[in-house]
Amino acid sequence: MGKDVVFQRGVMMSFIWILLLTFIATLGWAYENPTDLTELAIEDLMKIEITSVSKKQQKVFDAAAAIFVITQEDIRRSGVTSIPEALRMAPGVEVAHISANQWAISIRGFNNLFANKLLVLIDGRSVYSPLYSGVFWDIQDTLLEDIERIEVIRGPGATLWGANAVNGVINIITKQAKDTQGGLVSFGGGTEERGFGEVRYGGKIGEGTYYRAYAKYFDRDHFSDTFGQATHDGWNALRGGFRVDSQLSLQDSITAQGDIYKTDSGLTSSFALLYPPFTQSLNEEIHSVGGNILGRWRHTFSNSSDMILQMYYDWKEHQELAHGERRDTFDLDFQHKFPLVEWQEVVWGLGYRLVEDDIRNSFSVAFTPDHRTDHLFSGFVQDDLSLIKDRLRVTLGSKFEHNSYTGFEIQPNVRMLWTPGSRHSIWGAVSRAVRTPARADDDVRYNISALPPDTVTNPSSLPVLISAFGNHYVESEKLIAYELGYRVQATSRITMDIATFYNDYTHLRSSETGMPRLETSPGPLHLLVPITLGNGLKATTYGLEMAIDWRALDWWRLQASYTYLKVRVPSASVMSSTFVEFGDERDPRHQIGLWSWMDLRRDLELNLSFRFVDKLPDLQVKSYVNLDAQLVWKPHKNLELSIVGQNLLDHSHAEFRTESFLPAPAIEVERGVYGRMTWRF
Amino acid sequence: MLIMMFISLSIPVGSGSIVIANPPASPEYLIKAAYLYNFTKFVEWPPEAFEDDFSPINLFILGADPFGEALDSIKNRTVQGRRLNIKYVNHIEEVSGCHILFISASEKENLRSILRILKNSTILTISETENFSKRGGIINFIQVENKIHFEINPDAAQQGKLKISSQLLRLAKIVSSESR
Repeated sequence: MGKDVVFQRGVMMSFIWILLLTFIATLGWAYENPTDLTELAIEDLMKIEITSVSKKQQKVFDAAAAIFVITQEDIRRSGVTSIPEALRMAPGVEVAHISANQWAISIRGFNNLFANKLLVLIDGRSVYSPLYSGVFWDIQDTLLEDIERIEVIRGPGATLWGANAVNGVINIITKQAKDTQGGLVSFGGGTEERGFGEVRYGGKIGEGTYYRAYAKYFDRDHFSDTFGQATHDGWNALRGGFRVDSQLSLQDSITAQGDIYKTDSGLTSSFALLYPPFTQSLNEEIHSVGGNILGRWRHTFSNSSDMILQMYYDWKEHQELAHGERRDTFDLDFQHKFPLVEWQEVVWGLGYRLVEDDIRNSFSVAFTPDHRTDHLFSGFVQDDLSLIKDRLRVTLGSKFEHNSYTGFEIQPNVRMLWTPGSRHSIWGAVSRAVRTPARADDDVRYNISALPPDTVTNPSSLPVLISAFGNHYVESEKLIAYELGYRVQATSRITMDIATFYNDYTHLRSSETGMPRLETSPGPLHLLVPITLGNGLKATTYGLEMAIDWRALDWWRLQASYTYLKVRVPSASVMSSTFVEFGDERDPRHQIGLWSWMDLRRDLELNLSFRFVDKLPDLQVKSYVNLDAQLVWKPHKNLELSIVGQNLLDHSHAEFRTESFLPAPAIEVERGVYGRMTWRF
Repeated sequence: MLIMMFISLSIPVGSGSIVIANPPASPEYLIKAAYLYNFTKFVEWPPEAFEDDFSPINLFILGADPFGEALDSIKNRTVQGRRLNIKYVNHIEEVSGCHILFISASEKENLRSILRILKNSTILTISETENFSKRGGIINFIQVENKIHFEINPDAAQQGKLKISSQLLRLAKIVSSESR
């Protein structure tokens, strides 16, 4: 084991040194005179590809926030097959692959299976579940090829996104239908990716209306545990969708899109019982089906003023042994942007969301009431002031919401962007954000585990049942965040982005153990140890995130990211009876990522993704270093063959551990290889 | 491990000051500058556009200049026997004597009125904003799969009494003026 670590460290250090050397050597080279383009004929000028770093950075440069854009090229070249895996590219994001079909993803700390401080949107549709305040990553998917970009905004999601965008927002944006014309067939298989197939066709109806439709299927293998035993977490999914974009006139455009899916995931669950054997571990299949339909209308008044009206309906059904959920969401959003005076731009909006659910209760997990309808009313306003034209900009804004759990919430923020020159900018922000309670925080009873009678842990003659209870008086978790960042486009080939933050949390969810009491129902008679949810915890976190994008050579692009995070839970706020579901030692202190995209020949690419993730001591997860490699060959204009190796440096490794009261060997992510063939027509 | 670090540090590093003086021209605008230079070879202005056979071709940049150093490669070059002269202007009123007008994206808001004023002039209007050609601009740069191509509105060229060579038209995406 020790030798493994040394080897991994060695590989990583060598990589970093090679990078550094090439960087220094290239700096001199970067200034050499370009070839005289005026000597070329027009036909030749038309063939030159501009691959400027600035295209990706342009969106980011003027933002007074810590934003990182994962482009379609980044997604394609990293060889990832799912949205969670694509998110590893962004600094500040923790992505832990818990089991083959589960991920723990968070930004700036508090990572968990149901990490609850992150808002995720797909084309404006929120996929954050109000049941547990988390994201069910196994049902968030689309044709990765059709993703235009993923915007990762670290820090309170600012005015525009709303409650629960406490630590960040992930905005997945798909391509417009006019950019996905023609046909695409892609399929392949391998060791972990047992088999997958994708088709998409895009076409045009008359002038100005484009559409596309897609379908995909995949079957993924299970992982194994630390002892090499197969874990029951294989899964498969079938999904399809469409999108239609129509430019009705110069001022109006509409979009309609929808998806439908069915996912079956394996899971090993343990249940508490009030009779022998008092705990039972079962392999089960989780069935999820769902779909959504979204419509958006955009009206342009002028170059600086427009209005967007969006409506969507989302339904999902989720069935597992101890729990069943049917959820319907209807959302209506309006947004209007206009200039107040020449140097002031105002954006304001109103939103309404109706969420209705139906839950099937069981002995293990029960919600009271089992049917609930919640209304969410929201509004926001943001004022963008150009105090000194092109140099100093201040943005003031606030989101106002009324929800069914805590009533009225206000989330104001102020941001400032200073651009001393066209090549660098400094920004700062102070924001307040809240995480409103989820259904589970309020209404749940979850029987965590049972202790049999007449044992060392439970000397009484009655079984002991440990249960977690929601609390109707639970409040929102609150955050005040202070952020500062710096961006520089050092040369036309290299940009660097640094963001730092200091987050002050109060009213974090805590669980207090209460006095044991006798309970007769559900029978048989037992001693109940209640753990009640509350808001008794405070914490502060601070850190730094750095991203470098370097076009070392015309055919070689490098990206690097570094994340530092420190979580502090002051012991004074932790009483002995409190369960802390987060802590100083559950998020990686350091994370490093390195990506190398190389065009070896016009038809051959070699793409490498390298990562180091620090240990999670409280979860007994060791640090790890890993490498994904992809070789792409384009024998013909319309044909692409690729082979991808994932998690190559280790046969298997654990990235996270969900706690249970039962000791269980960790699930380990396995090394895998897959091949893909893509044909376009 | 430590040995590697030691070896790297002792290798002399190549030259290349890390001082950032004038930002170097971005490849996109080097290409567009080359296009501007080339377009002049395929466009014929009516005789009244020039004072005599030796007067220069005036290329004006209207609005915020996106080219920077990129124009150095074509400044004062000779084309069709004339010197290519470059000038920067901020208002449409200053375009007298202009032959080629590059309208910067910063003038997006005023596009309609600018093109209206230029309707009866013999100026070759070029830009890089969406719908420029549809609105009556003559040449518009567009981006196709990471490459820079261009659209041409032949009707607008004809209105300006400019003759564009079929060789150039062949390579362009032809756009007609949108009827309003």
